[in-house]
Parts: sequence; C-alpha cells; structure tokens
Amino acid sequence: MPEIVNGLKPGKKRKRKDEEPEIRKKSRRAPKAQERHLQEDILGLEQKILESRTNYNSIHNLLDYVRVEISADEKDVLAAVALCRVFCRLMAAGNLNKPQDKASNEVTIVQWLKGKLQEYEDELLRLLENEDTGRQSTALTLLMRLVKEEATHLDKSDEAVWRDGLFQRLLRTMVKDGVAEDTRKDLIEKYVEEYDDIRYYTFARLADISSKDASETVLQNTLSILAAIESIPGSGEDLQDFYISPHSKAKHDLYSLTAHKRQAQKAWMALLRQPHTKAQRKSILDLTSHRIAPWFLKPELLLDFLTDSFNMGGSTSLMALSGLFYLIQHKNLDYPQFYPKLYSLLDSQILHSKHRSRFFRLLDTFLASTHLPAALVASFIKRLSRLTLHAPPSGIVVVVPWIYNLLKNHPSCTFMIHRNSELDKEEDEGSLLRYGDPFRMDEMDPMETDAIDSSLWEIQMLQTHYHPNVATIAKIISEQFTKQAYNLEDFLDHSYGTMLDAELKKDVKKAPEIEHEIPKRIFLKHDKGSGKEDSLLVKLWNFG
Amino acid sequence: MAPSQLKRLKLSLREQGVVGPQKSKKQKKQASQSGALKESKIQRNAALQEIRERFNPFEVKATPKTKYEFANNRTIAGRVAKGAVSRPGVTKGLGEENRRRTLLVEMQRRKKVGGILDRRFGENDPTMTPEEKALERFVEEKQRNNRKGSLFDLEDAEDDDELTHFGQALSFNRSAEVDDFNEADLGGPDEEGPDGSAGERPQKRRRLQNTATSSEDCSDGGDNVGSEIRKSKKEIMAEVIAKSKLHKYERQQAKEDDDDLRAELDKSLPDLYALMSAPTRLGSPPLAPNASMNPDSLALLNGTERSKADKEYDERLRQLAMEQRAKPTLRTLTEEEKLQREVQRLKELEGQRLRRMKGELGESDLEAEEEVQALNGEGDPTDEEYNFGLGPGLVEERQSRGLGVEDEDEFVIEDNLLASGSDFDTSDADEVDEAGTESSDDDDQEFVQGLLSSEDAEREGFGFSKDEAGIAMANGATGELAYTYRCPETHDDLLEIVRHIAVQDLPTVVQRIRALYHPKLASENKAKLATFAKILVDHTSYLANQPKHPPFAVLEALIRHIHSLAKTFPEEIGRQFRSHLKSFHELRPNAPTPGDLIVLTAIASVFPTSDHFHQVVTPAILCMTRYLGQNIPQSLSDLVVGTYLVTLCLQYQKLSKRYMPEVVNYTLNTLWALSPGRTKQARIGSFPHHSLPEALRLSSATAASRQLHFWDVVPKMNGNGGRNSVEGKGREEVDDDDVNESLKAALQDTHIALINNMIDLWAGKAAFCEAFATVHMKLQQLGSDSALGYLRAVTETRLCETSFKLNRHLQESMAARTPLRLHKHKPLAIKTSIPKFEESYNPDKHYDLDRDRAEMSKLKAEYKRERKGALRELRKDANFIARENLREKKERDSAYEKKYKRLVAEIQGEEGKEAKNYEREKGMRKGRK
Repeated sequence: MPEIVNGLKPGKKRKRKDEEPEIRKKSRRAPKAQERHLQEDILGLEQKILESRTNYNSIHNLLDYVRVEISADEKDVLAAVALCRVFCRLMAAGNLNKPQDKASNEVTIVQWLKGKLQEYEDELLRLLENEDTGRQSTALTLLMRLVKEEATHLDKSDEAVWRDGLFQRLLRTMVKDGVAEDTRKDLIEKYVEEYDDIRYYTFARLADISSKDASETVLQNTLSILAAIESIPGSGEDLQDFYISPHSKAKHDLYSLTAHKRQAQKAWMALLRQPHTKAQRKSILDLTSHRIAPWFLKPELLLDFLTDSFNMGGSTSLMALSGLFYLIQHKNLDYPQFYPKLYSLLDSQILHSKHRSRFFRLLDTFLASTHLPAALVASFIKRLSRLTLHAPPSGIVVVVPWIYNLLKNHPSCTFMIHRNSELDKEEDEGSLLRYGDPFRMDEMDPMETDAIDSSLWEIQMLQTHYHPNVATIAKIISEQFTKQAYNLEDFLDHSYGTMLDAELKKDVKKAPEIEHEIPKRIFLKHDKGSGKEDSLLVKLWNFG
Repeated sequence: MAPSQLKRLKLSLREQGVVGPQKSKKQKKQASQSGALKESKIQRNAALQEIRERFNPFEVKATPKTKYEFANNRTIAGRVAKGAVSRPGVTKGLGEENRRRTLLVEMQRRKKVGGILDRRFGENDPTMTPEEKALERFVEEKQRNNRKGSLFDLEDAEDDDELTHFGQALSFNRSAEVDDFNEADLGGPDEEGPDGSAGERPQKRRRLQNTATSSEDCSDGGDNVGSEIRKSKKEIMAEVIAKSKLHKYERQQAKEDDDDLRAELDKSLPDLYALMSAPTRLGSPPLAPNASMNPDSLALLNGTERSKADKEYDERLRQLAMEQRAKPTLRTLTEEEKLQREVQRLKELEGQRLRRMKGELGESDLEAEEEVQALNGEGDPTDEEYNFGLGPGLVEERQSRGLGVEDEDEFVIEDNLLASGSDFDTSDADEVDEAGTESSDDDDQEFVQGLLSSEDAEREGFGFSKDEAGIAMANGATGELAYTYRCPETHDDLLEIVRHIAVQDLPTVVQRIRALYHPKLASENKAKLATFAKILVDHTSYLANQPKHPPFAVLEALIRHIHSLAKTFPEEIGRQFRSHLKSFHELRPNAPTPGDLIVLTAIASVFPTSDHFHQVVTPAILCMTRYLGQNIPQSLSDLVVGTYLVTLCLQYQKLSKRYMPEVVNYTLNTLWALSPGRTKQARIGSFPHHSLPEALRLSSATAASRQLHFWDVVPKMNGNGGRNSVEGKGREEVDDDDVNESLKAALQDTHIALINNMIDLWAGKAAFCEAFATVHMKLQQLGSDSALGYLRAVTETRLCETSFKLNRHLQESMAARTPLRLHKHKPLAIKTSIPKFEESYNPDKHYDLDRDRAEMSKLKAEYKRERKGALRELRKDANFIARENLREKKERDSAYEKKYKRLVAEIQGEEGKEAKNYEREKGMRKGRK
C-alpha cells in the first residue's frame, strides 16, 4: 500500500489528496469497473462527510466497510484510509474537542464522534493482527498518524496519548503473536529509530508491558523489539528528532539523555527480571556488551543477571563471559571467584564448542596479566593440555600457541616443560614419580591443583599427532623460545573443513610417493603357509 | 723587499749571459767560424726557456702548505705532509706530445688504407750515416742466413751437394770402408722366413743403438764446439745436415719394422678368429680347411668373387656387432649375494620411509631415491620381482590360491598376438622377457607377469574361482571374453566395455587392456594407460557403491592393479584419489558410501601411510577423523562405518604410531553407546560424550557371536545384497532384533580388540597414562556390566584380558615417567656489540665492516675516477683535433695563397715582359718609320 502511505505523510496531505485517485489508477494494473466504482463511492462518502455535519453518519458506513472480515478487493483498506483522513481533518478542525458553549447538541456530536473514533481505533488495532502483512503495515501507518494527530489536536495532554492512549494500546498489540515480525521491524525502523520521543515512550510502555505480562510470547516479542533498537544517543544534543512538534517546556524529560537512558534501563530490567528460556538468555547475553550495557546508567544492575547466567554453566557461561568482562573492564566490577569460575569452564566440551574461538579470545585477555599467580596459570595450561588429548586438531592448534604465549609471560611456569630433578632430590620425589602426574584434574580450585609441579607430557605426545601441521605446531614447545609471542588470531578459526580445504586445494606438484611393496592381500586373509601376518583390517573384519 | 719583476728579469738575463756587452765584429766572425756561434745559440735558447719557466707563475702548482697538523694531513711517519708540487705545464706538454705521437698519426692515416711499411734500417733515422746503415743491413742479412739452419730442414740441405749414409758421406772413392753390401744381416725384411722374429730383434736393437750413438754424436758435437776454437759455419752446417739425414733414415726404418710386424700379425689372424669364434653361442659357419686365413684373402685365393666375399665379410661383421658383449657386472650372483642385495635394498627403502615419516625428505633424498631406482634397474632380472614381494614368494605362491579369475594360457596367446601384430620380432620378444633388466619403469610388465605366475599356480588346481563360482577356466565366466579391448577414455567407456562381462572377469579384462596398451608398444599408450589408471580408481569406488556387492577378490585385484599402475603414473593416480577425497569432503562428509570406504582402504595400501606429510594420505586421514569427530552416530550402520574407519585409522598408523584423539574418542563413545548399563552410570572422562539414541544399547547377552562384515556399513533397509540376503528375507522382521543384537555384540567385541591394538600402538607415548586412564575406567565400567549379566562370556574374557593388559601398561608408563626436559638446548649466545677500536685510524680509509659493501664503494669510487679521467682525456683529444685541423687548414690556405701569388706574379711578369716587348717593338717601328 505504499501509495496510500505516501499520501498520508504529514504536511503533504492536502496536496496529495487531489492527486490520489490518479495515482491509484496509474499504479493499479487493470482496475475493475466495480473496484473503481467502489473507490469513487468511498471517496464520495469521504467528501460528503467533510462537507457537512449532516453527513457524519457516513462515518458509520465507512466503519462498516472496515469491519468486513474478508475482502478480496481492498475495500477495508480504502475505507480505513478514508476514515483516517476524515478523523484527521476533524481533529485539526477542532471538531473533536469539547465545545466551549456546552450546548448539549454540540456535546452529543463530539461524544458521538469520539465514540466512532474509538471504534475506528479498535478496528485498526484488529487490522494490525490481520494475516496480511501489507494490511498490518497500513494499519500501523494509520495508527501512528492518528497518534500524531491526537497528541497535537486533542485537548487532553499529549502525555496521556503516549501513556494510556492509543500508543499504549498499539504497543500492547505489537507484542502479540499475531503481528508479523516484519511489522515490528517496520515500527522500529520507521518510527522508533527515527524519532527520539517515540523511542522514549516505547521503552516506557514496554517496561510496563513486560513487568505486567510475563507470557513467553510477549517476552519474546518484547525482546525482539528491544534488541532491534540500535541507535543509542551519545549526548543530549543528539535528541533533536521528534515525531510530535517539540515540547514547550525545555526541561521536559524528552530533552534529557539521562531520562532516555533511565527508560531504556527500566525496560531492559523489566525484561531481565522475567524468567527466560535458554535461547532467550543466550540472545540477551549476546547483546549485553554492545546493545544493553551502554543504555544502563547503572550497569551493576546487569550483574545479577550475568552472574546467574555465568553460574548456569555450559555455553551460557561462555556467553556471559563477555558481558562480565565488559563490566569488569569498564565499570571496575569486582567479581570474586572469577578465575575459579573461569577454570571450571574448561570442561570436555570447550575445545569442541562452536564458541571456542570467542572463548579463547576472552581467555587470552583474562590471562594476559603478568601478575597472576604462577600456580593459577599453570593450572590453566595443564588442564587445557589435558583436554587436547581428546580434542580435534583445530582445538589443539589454538591451545599450543596459547600455552607458548603464557609460558613466555610466566617464566616460572616453564618448569612444566623443563625440570631438572637432581639425583639426591629424586628420593623425595619418588612419590611424585610413582604416581605419574601430580596434577589433580578433579580439583576445582586452580590454585590447588599442583599443576606447577607437573609436566606437559600431553603436548609432547601431540608432537606425534597424525596431522603434520599440528605435530609441527606442538613442536614449538620443545624448541628455543626465540619468538616473542604468537598471534592467537592466526590459529583461532580453523576447523576440519578449512583444514581439509587447505589440503585439497593445493595442486599436486610432485608425484606422490608410492608404497614400494604391493601387498598380496588387502581384503582377504593370507594363507597359512605364506608366513605373512594379516593386517588389522583383515583380522577384525569379514570380507566375504 | 724583493726587487721588481723587471729588475729580476734583467738580472737573470745578465747572469745567463743572454745579454751582455756587445761583441766586436771580429769576435763575431771568429765565433761563427769555429761553430761556437751555433753552440752559443742553443745555449742561449735553453737559458731563455729556463728563465721563461721561472718567471711563469703558472708553470708550477703546489698544493697550499698547511701549517698545522690535523688528522687529514698526517703521514704515517707522523709529520705534516709537504704539499706536493705539480707542473701543469709539463704534464700538458707531455700530453700534447703523446697526442702528437698517437692521435695525430691516426688522424693523418685516416681514410687511408694499405701502404708500405718501410722497415729498412735507419730509413727514418736521420742520425745514421749511409755507411752505418749499410753495415747494419749486412749484419742482419748474415744473421738471417745463419738462423735459417734448423736441424731438420731438409730442403735447405739440398744446396749441400754431399749425400750421406748413416751420417757418413756417400763416396765410393773412400775404398777403405768395407763395402757391406754382401753382409748377411743386410737382408731385407721380405727375405725373412715365417719365423722372422729372430731376424727382427737385432734390427730393433740396432735401431736403438743407432739412436744412442746419434745422441752421443750430438753431445760430442756440442763439446767440440765448446772445446775447439771455432768451427767454421760450413762445417757446422754439414754436421747438421748429416744429422737430419740420419734421423730421416731412422724414421723410415722404424716404419718398415712396424710394417713387418703388422704383416706377421695378419698372418696369424685366422688362428685368432678361430679362438674368438669358438666359444660363441651362435654357431659360426663351419670352418673351411684353410680357415686360418683371412676370409678376404681366402676368397681372393679361392678366386671367388670379390662381392661375395664382401658380403660374407659384412655378415660376419654384423654378427660380431650383434653379439652380446659380456658384461662384467652381470655375473651370476650366489644365493647369499642375492639375499644380501635384497636386504640392502629393503634397508634402503625402509630408511627412506623412516626419513619421510620424520618429515625430513629433502632434495638430496629424492636424488638418493632415484639412485636407488636406477640401482634396481641395473640389478638382476629377478630383482624387480622382489619389488612387489612377488619374486621370492613365487615358490610359496605356487602353493597358495591364485587370484583365480584370470587364465594364464590366454595371456600367453595374447602375448603372441600382440607380438606378431606389431613389428616386433623374436629378439624383441626376448627383450620383453627380460624387461626387468632393461629399465625400472617396466614395473607393470613385471607385475603382469607376476600375476601370470600366480595364475600359473592357480592352474595347478588351487583356483578358488573354479570351486566357488564355477568359472570356466578356458575363457572367463561365460567363456566369451574377447582378447582385445579398446582402451577406455572415460569411466562410461569402461562401463560400456564391461557391461556384458561378469564382475569376476574384470581383472582379466584389465590385465588384457594393460597388456594391449603396454607403453612399450606405442608412444601414445602411456597417456592412454594413465587415463585408464584413473578410470580404474573411479571404477573401484563405483563397484563398491553398486547395490549388488562385488566379490572382494575382484576389488582386491583392481586395487593391486592400481597400485602397480601407480608406480608408473603416481601423479595421475594421486590426483584421482584426491578428487575422490574432495567429493567425499564436499558432498557427503557425514555419510561415506561403501565406495569411499574402499577408496580409503585402497589409499592405505597404495600409498605409504607413515609419511609425515603425504599429498593423498594426509587429506584422507583428515576426512576420516572429521567423520569420527563430528558425526554423531544415529543408527547401527553409522556405528559400523565409524568402526571401520577406526580400524582403518589404526592401520594407517601401524608404522608411524601417531596419536589420533578422535579414534580414542570414538571408541569410548561407541562403547558408551553400546554399554547396557549406560543409563545408570555416570559419564566419565574428559572426552565429549555424544547424546546417543537409546536403541543402540546392547540389551541382551544372548546374541550369537560373529565377526563384523564389511557390508554391515550399508543400512539394512536397502541392503539386499551380501549377508543380509543370505540370512533370508522372509525372516528378516522376525530376526531383526537378533540380527541387531548380534551386530551390537560384534561391534563391542571389535572395539575391545581395537583398544587392544591402540594399547600396542601408543603404549610408548609420553601421555599414555593420561589418554588411556579414561579408557581403563571405561573398561572397568563395562566389567561391571558383566556383573549384571549383560555380557557374553567370550566378550567378558576378552574384556578382562584387555583391561588387565591396559592396567599393566599404564603402570609401566607411569613408572617410566620422568619430568620433561625439553629445553636442553645449548643456550643461545647473546649478540655482542662491543665497539672495535682501530689502532691507527685514518679518516680517508673506509672502515666498513660489511665486506661486500666496502668493496662495492671502492669499485664505485674507482669507476667515478676513471670516468672523470676518461672524459677529460676525450675533451683534450677533441681540442687537439680541432687545433690540428685548424692548423692544417691554415697551412693549406697559406700554401694556396702562396701559389696564387706566385702565379699572379708569374703572369704579371710575363705580361710586363710582353708589354715591354711591345713597347720596344712599337718604338722600333716608330723609329724605323
């Protein structure tokens, strides 16, 4: 319905009105005679209403058109647009304001008109839940137009329109399930992002909604609206774009950045207080550092949510990590037991997880400080190297250079790769030798694992990894530490797929080596007398 | 204050006596008469020159003297260097002189070619008197005459009238000499008998004696020259001539001797012929009675035609040329030597493999490898067979089953067919037989023959194909196998060819194609076979993917064919395998087809899987581990595929023993999946557990024991071939559970066996305890299952054994554990940067530590200097040339002017004379009138 929407752009109304029929004719490919007749009919009604009060009853007719449930021709839409124009005109003319003379006749008319307006609004809100997204967006446009007109021309305060009036009802409908995602996006893109006042009131109303109604779909939709709001004003001067002509009072909340932020914070907090599904929580966590936290006047308020998430374990913890890090970094947050918690994240899944690269980026920053106790660092090193024994090559490739960097930063940990045990000391360390590895995998406190007394046999074992590149990388541990540090970014984004691609993309330049001996048997068993041993495959499998 | 310039000039002029009191006329006359005047004139000029020089301030140029010592002007001795004095005028003059000598001459000679060079003595020397010149010329002529007498110049000697013999003058009038004409030893060589050696020896000796005497003579002559006062020139010349004659004679004599010897040799040649031709295998034509003679001469003797003899000769020659020459290297080796050689070769190959395993193969190794190959090529014919492990096994092979699908006879016929079809003659066929000796790229030929010999064995009654499939041994399964096939160019071609051929006959067909298009037969066959090799790889995978499962004997034969072809076409086959891997990787990483599995198996046997890096093996391993690491099995057939891959992985690492985390994980996960008590037990270990469907659990211990079958990888729904069909389709639904249960039990057994194998492979690794502690726990957990009665007795005992073994190994490896000592490197030297002090520093010198750079700057400076100098010289040359040209022109002009004036004067004179004459005549006429 773009042409209709265009026709309603504020300020261009009158001019456009005359052109409208023509535009419609042009854009419709082959308007049927009936349809044209209908259009003329509706336009005629509209014209009559505006001409004289006596024709006000035609509003009723138009409303009936709008009410028609299913209409193949766009009668309801046309009628709705026409009605919108009618009401806008009436409001601009002050016909809906309480008359001064208090003549009962006038009052009745105003009352009646208000009633019709109410009905019309209800119809529009119903249209907002129509299956047709085109109708939805038309309804949204019309509603926003009405909001503007009501706030400007009706004698009640504009605050009221925003708070309990049409806008509130609009938003309540918007978070319902019937409204398509596209329409919500429309709302955000065309209004919320564009106009500071709409954004302000959206936050306010959403806060109300989510604090009252906690059903899952509402939460989900609220979240999707909130998540879509990207523009964060930098300062008070940025607050310039208003949907409704700027307020008279200079001290109004709309001009204050703090007020805006407070509203946003309120909305988010209301949302965060509700119970979430895991997916919702993850998407919230995903937004935390760059969408949510900047709105917050007091980011500490996020702490509860984040710690809860962090304590949930698994990938949720991983996601919470970046939010926590944001708080620690920017808000000077003190999080007790951070490192033990971090340590506990190093479980069997971590090297297989799809968040691996993200986690390692953060882990690298967390352990970047050279003032960390060596025992702690050693625990991290040892635990990760233990995990590499069951890790895919892409995981190993990250861990080994990371260990190298840590060893370079914490020279006291290099005992893990080189330990001179003197002969006389060997008596004392007999126990150590007998039990193999002093490191305790089960110990959850990274300060108590004794990893510093252990050695990185695992990495040594990986020097004989099946993949030549991994084996070569593992060898950096046993070579001279001449390189200052490895850039972890080079190793983060590998997978089986990329490694295979890299191998297979290369062209064969040199003829590949061929096994010099052609085996006599590949699938079948060797004969008893041949004196050859069957291969493992033949031993275990039956190739009949 | 010094006197003025003028005063000084006057003074010096007076001092030199240039100016002085005027001499009287008398004095002058006297001086001119005695020639003193002339002398004094020269003196005067010199003095003037000197004075002029002295008073020219530009004649001498000195570098400004430095009063004080500073770093730059100090000499080695430490004193302030005196400013050097140069004379620009002098150098300029020298340069001018030089130019006049070279450039001017050149200028004058320009555009002039030829000419006569006057080399007469003193011709251009004005200081020599004619007498002196004549004398000089005479001396030179004399010398030239003397010099000409080179020792052996015979021509020169001709003007000497004396002939000599043995250095003695030939003169009959010296009758005192014995006329030795009648002496016995003067007999010519032609008079000598067949045993002429006796007569020859003295002659030779005589020659030696002669040379000795002649040298004596020489030395005598030299002494004489020294001792006697002086021999006349003529005498010397006579001596020289005599000597040259002597040498000439000697040379002739020696030549004659040689001829004699040659003749003698020729005579005994037939005997030699006999000797030589006796041992040859080729039956030389029966010897004629007088075979001892040269066939040529014999023919001549016999009066046969020359041409016929020539023909015979040619034939003989060709026989000789064709005859195999004995090769010293090819002596028959004894058994021990052969074995030793074989051992040596295998050792070498193993060494290379080890180096590749460690990833150390560099260029040099490649060369070494080529060397080894060359070595193989040179080796004895059986050596090549060893290459494939066929050679020594031949004897045992005879006992073993052959491939059983080919028939030997046919191939022999084939061989003949192709032999007669082409231009090869019998000797070439022989060559084919010995192809192994020829070159190393004859592998496949050898391979084909190796196959033949194994078929040979099969014919003796061990062919399983006859027992099993009842293939007619005459000619393939249907008896209609053709002998020749087109060499397929695409896989579709091959499919077209084999459409009507039983699968069992495929190897025969392949073999025939390989024989038909053997690279030796035509040059383009090599390319054809390369394509064929690729198609074979495709076909192997294709066959395995067919719903009707091909017998493994065929697949095995195909893979072995591919392997032997790969020796000739490693690149093509490697590429083809890689393209298969690529499609596996890109199209179905989580659902390998049986064809993929067969391809991976083929890679395991065709390529050395122990290499550190290998273009085919490394991606293959990655493909497998990707499946093992990322695929979460959902059905039993998934598990079977995974288990097959685990087995393959372990086989890949058989030699190199590299650690594969995914394999361990997968085994643990599978055991966990199958474990009957899974639901009750906690998850242990630090490997990621899959969430697996409940149906995979082993639920009863009653399942029958069996081995995993390859075709278990195909889900049963569409698995209508192979085992499942054998078990009967009707009962399938009834038996479904049982079948599944037995499959699960088989999987469990297999994985326990695999763990056993892993322990063997990786027990020596550093972190064995860490990696396998989980496995141990898992086994123990399984053991607890046994308590619940879920496990079969066989499995339980195996489990116990494996568990016990693992426990032992774990303890051993813990006991053997020592802290890491990875950094026993020699500490790196810190770079020193102590400044180096120069003893006697000279700022003019460049102390560049970088030798190359120092030399470079030196060269540059030199170049610059030279360039400047050259430019300056050129400029001066140009100036000089211009000057000379001008001078010449002036000269020419003045000469012209002079000539002109002279001519004008002449004419004027003549005119004047004539005018006078006219006047006179006129006057006279007037007067007369």
